[in-house]
Amino acid sequence: MIDVTVTVNGSVRRAAVPPETTLLTLLRDNFQLTGTKLGCDVGDCGACTVIVDGMAVNACLMLAAQTDGRQVLTIEGLATKDKLHPLQKVFEESGALQCGFCGPGMLLSAKALLDENPEPSVYEIRDALAGNLCRCTGYSKIVEAVQDAARMRQTPQAHEAHQLEMHGQDHG
Amino acid sequence: MKPFEYVAARDSQHAVALLAEYGSGAKVLAGGTDLLADLKAAQHSPRVMVDISQAADLKGISLTDDGLRLGALVTHTEIMRSSVIRDYCPALIEAAHTIGAVQTRNLGTIGGNLVTCVPSMDSGPTLLALDAQITVVDPGGQRRMPLSALFVGPRKTSLADGQLLVDIVIPKASVGKPAAFLKFGLRKGQALALVNAAASLWVDGERTTFVAPRIALGAVAPTVIRAPKAEAFLAGLTISPEAMDKAGRIAASEAKPISDFRASADYRRDLIAVLVKRALATAYERSTAQKEHVQ
Amino acid sequence: MADETKTLTRERIALGDLLRHADDKQKLPAAVPPKTVPVEPLVPQPGQQTLAVGQRVTRPDSRNHGLGQTKYIDDLTLPGMLYAKIKRAGIASARIVRIDTSAAEAVPGVMAVITASDIPVNSFGPTFQDQPVLVGDIVRHAGDGVAAVAAVTEQIAAEAVEKIVIEFEPLPAVFDPLEAMQEHAYKIHAPNSNIYASKVIRKGDVEKGFAQSDRIFEGQFTTQMVEHVPLEPHAAIADWDANDRLTVWATIGRITLARADLARTLTLPMSRVRLIGTIVGGNFGGKNEITQEPALALLSKKAGRPVKGVFTRSDEFISTTTRHPFVMNYKTGVTKDGRILARTVRLVLDGGAYCSWSATTLGKACILASGPYNIENLISEAFVVYTNKTMTGAMRGFGAPQVCFAYESQMDDIAKALGIDPIEIRLRNAFGEGAISPTGQSLHSVVVKESLLTAAERFGWEERP
Repeated sequence: MIDVTVTVNGSVRRAAVPPETTLLTLLRDNFQLTGTKLGCDVGDCGACTVIVDGMAVNACLMLAAQTDGRQVLTIEGLATKDKLHPLQKVFEESGALQCGFCGPGMLLSAKALLDENPEPSVYEIRDALAGNLCRCTGYSKIVEAVQDAARMRQTPQAHEAHQLEMHGQDHG
Repeated sequence: MKPFEYVAARDSQHAVALLAEYGSGAKVLAGGTDLLADLKAAQHSPRVMVDISQAADLKGISLTDDGLRLGALVTHTEIMRSSVIRDYCPALIEAAHTIGAVQTRNLGTIGGNLVTCVPSMDSGPTLLALDAQITVVDPGGQRRMPLSALFVGPRKTSLADGQLLVDIVIPKASVGKPAAFLKFGLRKGQALALVNAAASLWVDGERTTFVAPRIALGAVAPTVIRAPKAEAFLAGLTISPEAMDKAGRIAASEAKPISDFRASADYRRDLIAVLVKRALATAYERSTAQKEHVQ
Repeated sequence: MADETKTLTRERIALGDLLRHADDKQKLPAAVPPKTVPVEPLVPQPGQQTLAVGQRVTRPDSRNHGLGQTKYIDDLTLPGMLYAKIKRAGIASARIVRIDTSAAEAVPGVMAVITASDIPVNSFGPTFQDQPVLVGDIVRHAGDGVAAVAAVTEQIAAEAVEKIVIEFEPLPAVFDPLEAMQEHAYKIHAPNSNIYASKVIRKGDVEKGFAQSDRIFEGQFTTQMVEHVPLEPHAAIADWDANDRLTVWATIGRITLARADLARTLTLPMSRVRLIGTIVGGNFGGKNEITQEPALALLSKKAGRPVKGVFTRSDEFISTTTRHPFVMNYKTGVTKDGRILARTVRLVLDGGAYCSWSATTLGKACILASGPYNIENLISEAFVVYTNKTMTGAMRGFGAPQVCFAYESQMDDIAKALGIDPIEIRLRNAFGEGAISPTGQSLHSVVVKESLLTAAERFGWEERP
């Protein structure tokens, strides 16, 4: 067994796991953080995307042992107790997700992008999300939502104006 | 995955010692983006996973007396963000960008890409076109050799058990050499290459003659290969679109593409001709901005 | 006690008096049946805003999705839950000579192993019950399940599955539906023909129509097998209570059908089967019937603990339904100005190893095969054929996308050959209000022409180079 001490969403967590345990299994089974999803288990679909030391990675392709001493952010850590992350807010308002399964991975990839590039172009957004597959939406609303969230972080007023333009009236 | 033991190496020396201890029962883990996916499909796991991903001396990008050094653990994302590489070998950035997606590039390493040694590897062609050298270390010491000596066949390198790839060096003579890389896959992201093509060339003072042209092809032979006949055709020739076009067609004849469910051999040959021509044209355009190579 | 009763009674009478008294005072009219009041139907006019119609709302599931709080089946655990894995045949066509599960059963942590012999009624299917839950004798495609294991961890279940020994006697196999249709072809569901459903629509006189045509066009069009690839794999949990009632949580869209199939395969009264259709991570038609659920239920019964099964991505590709490949032959007779006078269509659907939703797909494809065009003389013939490949079933469009590809491709071919603008030729043939469908239905709210013209304008058809 390998002892892993890893900071997840700001809290130090410990587990003793077989060496072949992936970060994905550690999060879902050992820490009961089931927001991170298993879609393919081989790093093709991105449903297991989490942020490790600021980098978006596929949790299914990292061993739990490799996260010892590191910081991991999962979808459960994106919102605070009182506030949704702008991305979560915009995804919700614009109906960017349908079945929702790709959502956690998509949101974290988008967060990693905006943290590094606050004003991404559509090309840059698509490039950043290329590792997150979605079978329901056709991606358009997701890309627009990321653009809108970027706008929102720059100026909340710009976000409000965009919402009005897109959706007509204020639906609160 | 099937169970395995795990041990983390502190540095390359420790890694070599661990590999010597565990022999053929060990597998080296760097980024894991190929290895772990393979193990999940495989019927067996290694006895021991030797994790080198934290070995600091295998990281880093720097200009040295030898040339431009990339540690084996440099990730594709690090390559894309390196100002040194952007200044002297932007084609490496182009190549790194075509690999997988952000998540795979954040973990995947250039050493891992070379050592996994699939014919469609995206980092090999540009390095080959820049006459890259590699450093290999084992209990007996360390050796420098041409990158081409690493590639033996699909998923087969010349590395023996216990040997570790330490770094890749683009020799001084190639640092700043105008180069370009093109990949053709069935999608813009997360796609295996049908054809990879890289070209590098110096030009003479008037920018009218090909000097030291190099062409490398991927996914169209058992390993990444050079196109020596096309190179010989171009060397010393007056630069023209027609010359680049002909070189592309010669290069296509030097490849051995297969037909599979992704494409026919004929289609791949067509692609080679076009991609080589375009890579040469882009490399030539870059020669206007060519930096004086480090003397 | 007695005193209390008296008091109560007295009070009750008093209340009655009080009410009668109140009635008299009110001078209420005698009871008369109410007159019927005409009710204005609430029909919103186009563009009219009502309380609901036209309002923008946020999806109620969006909040949970964004927070990662949505619970899909693999996010659920029950106390003592076991994990199941299924052994796939790995061979397209074979007879099972021998199955030896003893090595699997001996693996520590394995709590139950089942094979076909454990299944009370080993057949299911929405139209024909031709699919086994687990194969007992004849394997018909490589993804056929042959045995199932439940263990305390997924890893142990996966290891145990590998230890199951199966001896196969390979049988002939047929992979091409055109070949499978032939008389001499190997019969996949012997003694039945490989053609397991067919449909024909006849209208008018095609011979006459062709005779009157200026040009006749023939073409063969084929489409490939497509897998839904829902991000969430098929998953289910089965659990029994002490009253022998089965509860199954499943990623299934058609829960009433699934419940019936569970009752049938497990010989349970429906009243003992509770099926909970959970939030699903993508369906697209591929999660409309049971797959592993009866096997999970039996594993759970044997082990005395809840059992969860989640398909691997590999299972998704080889063991779940896919979109039917079609081979389509179109013969169309037209006048020189592009009006269709006659059309014959022959569709061969690659029906995979089992029927699943093929009969429905067949019917829909056959009816839609001639396209949204006025054709007086028509024969549409469709066949669905067994092959030793992954099951083909429902997938968005249900037979429509394939035929659309064919008739629209041929329409372009015809337009090009006759030198007619592709939109113009369609306008000349398209359904209008009141058009009659191939099966004689009178169609209303027909907007084919309007849609074509609006789309053409929107994407700048006239401005194309």
